Amino acid sequence: MYYREAGRLVKSFAADRRMLPLMEDRFVTTLFVVVVMYGLVTWLASDYIFSAILIPMMVLGVATLGLNIATGYTGQLSLGTAGFMCFGAFAAFNLIFRLDWMYIPLAFFLAGLIAGLMGIIFGLPALRIKGFYLIVSTLAAQFFAEWVFNAYPWFLNYTSSGVVNLPPFHYKVFPFQELTPLNDAFWHSSRGRYLITLTITIALIVACKNMVRSSTGRNWMAVRDMDIAANVIGISVAKTKLMAFFVSTFYCGVAGAMYSYCYIGNLDFMIFNLRRSFLVMFMVIVGGLGSILGSFLGAIFVYGWPILVTRLGDAIFGGGTLDTAFVENNSKIVVGTIIIVLLIREPGGFAALWNTSKQKLRVWPFSK
Amino acid sequence: MNTSTDSKNPILVLDNINLSFKGVKAITDISFNVYEGEICAVIGPNGAGKSSMLNVINGVYIPQEGTITFEGKQFKKMKPGTAASMGIGRTFQNIALFAGMSTLDNIMTGRNSFHKATFWETALNVGRVRSEELASREEVEKIIEFLGLQSIRKTPVSSLPYGLQKRVELGRALAAQPKMLLLDEPMAGMTMEEKLDMSCFIQEVNRNLGTTVVLIEHDMSVVMDVSDHVVVMDYGKKIGDGTPEEVMNNQDVIDAYLGVSH
Repeated sequence: MYYREAGRLVKSFAADRRMLPLMEDRFVTTLFVVVVMYGLVTWLASDYIFSAILIPMMVLGVATLGLNIATGYTGQLSLGTAGFMCFGAFAAFNLIFRLDWMYIPLAFFLAGLIAGLMGIIFGLPALRIKGFYLIVSTLAAQFFAEWVFNAYPWFLNYTSSGVVNLPPFHYKVFPFQELTPLNDAFWHSSRGRYLITLTITIALIVACKNMVRSSTGRNWMAVRDMDIAANVIGISVAKTKLMAFFVSTFYCGVAGAMYSYCYIGNLDFMIFNLRRSFLVMFMVIVGGLGSILGSFLGAIFVYGWPILVTRLGDAIFGGGTLDTAFVENNSKIVVGTIIIVLLIREPGGFAALWNTSKQKLRVWPFSK
Repeated sequence: MNTSTDSKNPILVLDNINLSFKGVKAITDISFNVYEGEICAVIGPNGAGKSSMLNVINGVYIPQEGTITFEGKQFKKMKPGTAASMGIGRTFQNIALFAGMSTLDNIMTGRNSFHKATFWETALNVGRVRSEELASREEVEKIIEFLGLQSIRKTPVSSLPYGLQKRVELGRALAAQPKMLLLDEPMAGMTMEEKLDMSCFIQEVNRNLGTTVVLIEHDMSVVMDVSDHVVVMDYGKKIGDGTPEEVMNNQDVIDAYLGVSH
């Protein structure tokens, strides 16, 4: 997979605006998605790989992308991510539980819209305040979510334990599903949930890329880089900020719905706590602000690295001989150190690392 | 070039503008006209209130008194968004580019008023998005060619030298196809060569597109060369208004620039 842009002349503005301007990139990406993600992985991966690695990575990747839209692209700091995920998860549950005809993808979409509306409400302070002060006001979303689902058990269908198990509910994914071999049991399985997550994730990545390469994304970035200048050239700063909050929390809401339905299989507002908001923020920082690829790299690294380190520790020291808590704590230390080193060496995160290595490869034998 | 401004229509009328910040008077009773198709230079010593004047014209500052009339529409409070939509373009003294974006994207943002597609249309890449993006790109390429920015099209603006950044900013203002351009020290900190380039660009825009230009400049030779009309400010007051020749021979202006013995 070693190719360069040299000699690839773009001959029209339409070609220059493509999502992946290089023919090779398009080929490799399509091959990867169709053959690897939908083909080999779907066919071969084990239950563990689906439910403990691939699904959570994609779900957290979407949440990270959501936060990145507000923070990385529009410059609005937010610590309400888990709160918005919570709104999305509860919205999806109530839509699916209360409306018999509801389909999963539609429920996730509507859950996103509901979370998005909450995002607009909690984004309103962004019109007046910036930076760290905005973090404080977005915290309100976090605490509001935790409070409202605790105070009003209707949202949980009065489940006494406070945790609703989701799988027993019907699982309609598309119309006339019962006529196909893909029955309820398939969609309940980790493979089915993986396919739902993968498809939604790809759709959201494409939508985000589309926004970023058009006027919407340029307006976001203009507001991020200099809101006064943006205002002077006719961009409505207020509208742009609220729109960014809406889209950002839409993504978080869908991620929350997927988190409950496709990953953990139950609905529990305690999971969407402040710690998770911080975790998503770390993913954004480690992955790279204002980068779609970075969002997913950040999610994969922050989520996946501890698992890898723990497994490595087990492999080296022999699983069972060492206390699991000891290995786990050590893996946290290792992960934390790596994050610190990475951010000192490359403050732009993985996205910047990827871009510099690409640039180095481009000029390789002639310059270092 | 038209030196007799009387026969022309004023595109912008400033009437009795007063602006103060917590008791500090920045602008006192200033009235002047800018005529359609001219290059009007606002000059004056540092702190004379020139940049504040531009900020009043496009609504960044709201004057306590006075009215702004642009193309026959009178405003007590101009808003930056309204000014932009009415066709007032603007560049800043200390470059206000979008640092994280490329030259191309910076100039493309200048055309935001031509983009009517909603965000969900852009998300799905349907409807007007494609045609609008391509139309804008075509217009922006003309500007890039005019300003000679082809080689830095995709370079992040933060990595560009100062002179080029100024040029990109002019490009961004031009992309909106403004009727009137407000240029705040477009040539400050430039080498002689860059200044010549920049004044050529400004004059060409003025002549070929008929854009009215209001500029602030300190270099007198440039001012006298390019402008049709000069307004002189000192301590927030207008002390001179007329053709470059008239202003040069005005005793108040000479005093303000050279100082008087008391």
